[in-house]
Amino acid sequence: MRLAQSDTAPLPSMGARLLRTLLVWSVVLTVTLSAAVWWTVNSEVEELLDETLQAAAEVLSVPLAVGSVVAPNAPEKSIDTASSQPVSSPASAPDKRFVWQVVRHAQSGGVRSGLTGAQVLASSVGAPSAPLHATLTLGLSSAAQWRVYGMALPSEPRELHDRQDARTLYVAQASTERREAQLEVTLAAALACIAALLLAQVWLRTSMRKELAPLHTLAKRLTQLDALHPSPLGRAQRRELQPVHDALDALGQRLERRVANERAFSGHAAHALRTPLAGIQTQLAVALREAPPALTGRLQKIRAASDRLQRVVTALLALFRSGVDLKPQSLTLPEWLRRLPIDGLSLNFDASTDQPLQADPDLLAAALINLLDNALRHGARQVTVSMPAPQILRLHDDGTGCSAEQREALQSAMHTQSYEGSTGLGLMLADIVARAHGGQVTLPAVGTGFAVEIRLVGRF
Amino acid sequence: MRLLLIEDDAILGEGLRDFLRTEAHLVDWCRSLQDARALQDEPFDALLVDWQLPDGSGLEWLKARRARGDHTVAIMLTARDLLADRITGLDAGADDYVIKPFEPEELCARLRAIVRRSAGTPSGRLQFGDVEIDLAAHQAWLQGQATDLTAREWAVLEALGLRAGRIVSKTDLERLTVSLDTQVNSNALEVHISSLRRKLGRSLIDTVRGLGYRLGGEL
Repeated sequence: MRLAQSDTAPLPSMGARLLRTLLVWSVVLTVTLSAAVWWTVNSEVEELLDETLQAAAEVLSVPLAVGSVVAPNAPEKSIDTASSQPVSSPASAPDKRFVWQVVRHAQSGGVRSGLTGAQVLASSVGAPSAPLHATLTLGLSSAAQWRVYGMALPSEPRELHDRQDARTLYVAQASTERREAQLEVTLAAALACIAALLLAQVWLRTSMRKELAPLHTLAKRLTQLDALHPSPLGRAQRRELQPVHDALDALGQRLERRVANERAFSGHAAHALRTPLAGIQTQLAVALREAPPALTGRLQKIRAASDRLQRVVTALLALFRSGVDLKPQSLTLPEWLRRLPIDGLSLNFDASTDQPLQADPDLLAAALINLLDNALRHGARQVTVSMPAPQILRLHDDGTGCSAEQREALQSAMHTQSYEGSTGLGLMLADIVARAHGGQVTLPAVGTGFAVEIRLVGRF
Repeated sequence: MRLLLIEDDAILGEGLRDFLRTEAHLVDWCRSLQDARALQDEPFDALLVDWQLPDGSGLEWLKARRARGDHTVAIMLTARDLLADRITGLDAGADDYVIKPFEPEELCARLRAIVRRSAGTPSGRLQFGDVEIDLAAHQAWLQGQATDLTAREWAVLEALGLRAGRIVSKTDLERLTVSLDTQVNSNALEVHISSLRRKLGRSLIDTVRGLGYRLGGEL
């Protein structure tokens, strides 16, 4: 059978395809999870930082409220939050990531107090010189590069009557600091997801290999299975493989029955064909002894035809049985070949034929008888038998041979087992017998005559 | 030699019987085991048995015969050519296994060889004083001179030659030299013995009174 080009292309791997699918889904899942984690963590961090900002403002508000009173319109005064300055330098924030300002905003009655806009009364180191908010803004807000929490400072008793002196504390955190924190969180989440993804791939590959192992075991068992007497595969290692085991067991049983039937048929066919042939041979032998001389020549021709018919029948029966058990024996070619019934051909044995040949003698005999018969019909009178290598039998006759094109066509037909062409029974049978032994027939190019190499190398 | 041929195929059986007769053998041809069993007390030099017969297995028939202590030479004639069949056939007691189709000449050669070997004379040549007998060539010489023997005389000489040194009863000798489908006179055997003695010398065949005949004296 000739193989299409697509049949020789590498087959797609179930494992690779499954792994690819899992990989894509893993990436999608990881990205989705990462996004969800990033969003959740960012929200939580944002909330936590805001709470921290608020807490810092509340902590700062107490010393600032009871600390030095900054006179209206007093020049701006900065307080180093890292130092522990009293009143004018109230208890500073834990680190410089936070800045604060005490701002007095002009109220609606600002004309009386002489204050317009907003005035920074005090601030921490690193705080902007301008007020964070030009207008009174309480609670959480964003301003330029800052996240700000504003709260009103409690007023001193003398100020209670003058609402225009109300001061506002702004505690702020740089937006860059917050982005940095969010970035760290995002990177950590992404790295964790990538690590999980890589680990998942390793685990998936290992699991895949482990789960596909029963398929390899099944293939190995099928390779070693005796085609004539297949033992049941039995219980599978995986539930998904059980239907395959059951189907193969059923197939094995059908094959076994088929082989048994074919064997029985082969036996009956052998009897039905061989016995009449024996009758013809025997009757002809008697006729040759009793016939007048004028008829002897014709009777001898009939006997020669009968001999040939006998060889063909033997070959066909061997062909029919070629898929059945092989019964190899060690053969010494010169001794064994001389027993084959081929008249009219002289066999010459090369020294290499002294080495033993492992083969089924019945099948090989059927193949060789027909090959030698072919040689005889193609004008050969001598056949040289040699063994160019162990388990390779070569026959080279001195017949008419064939052209290089014909030889290549025959070789190609046997290579693809397309015997329906012009291979004839001899070459077809020889190739089938060689294949039953694990080898095949090749037709080497020779100067004169025709050569056949029967390679019986596969099984022995 | 007297042969029992068991073969159900008419064309093969008839052809083989006729061919064997041209080789100077006496042939009783049975087409079934039932017919063969009717001849179980008859003496034969060899049995030619087909494996597959209409009323049973020729192989089983042979095994039963061997179990009864019968050692007659037997050749299986069969179409079953598998190695396992050949082994089974030989293990069942067959001395040879010939696969159909066969050349009748080869069958005869095998038959002669096996019978000679069974008789203890693989070469087929017997020497008794100045008498020489060649069982393969169907020829006898007295003092180096070939003698002309009739088919019946040769049958008697061959039957005794295959049992040289042993006493063969008159009844057995008559049965071994005459097939069932042949009518002979009651004193025909004595006539042939007498003729053989005249052609090959009186001392060649002993008459053991009350028991039978012996070729070549007591060994």
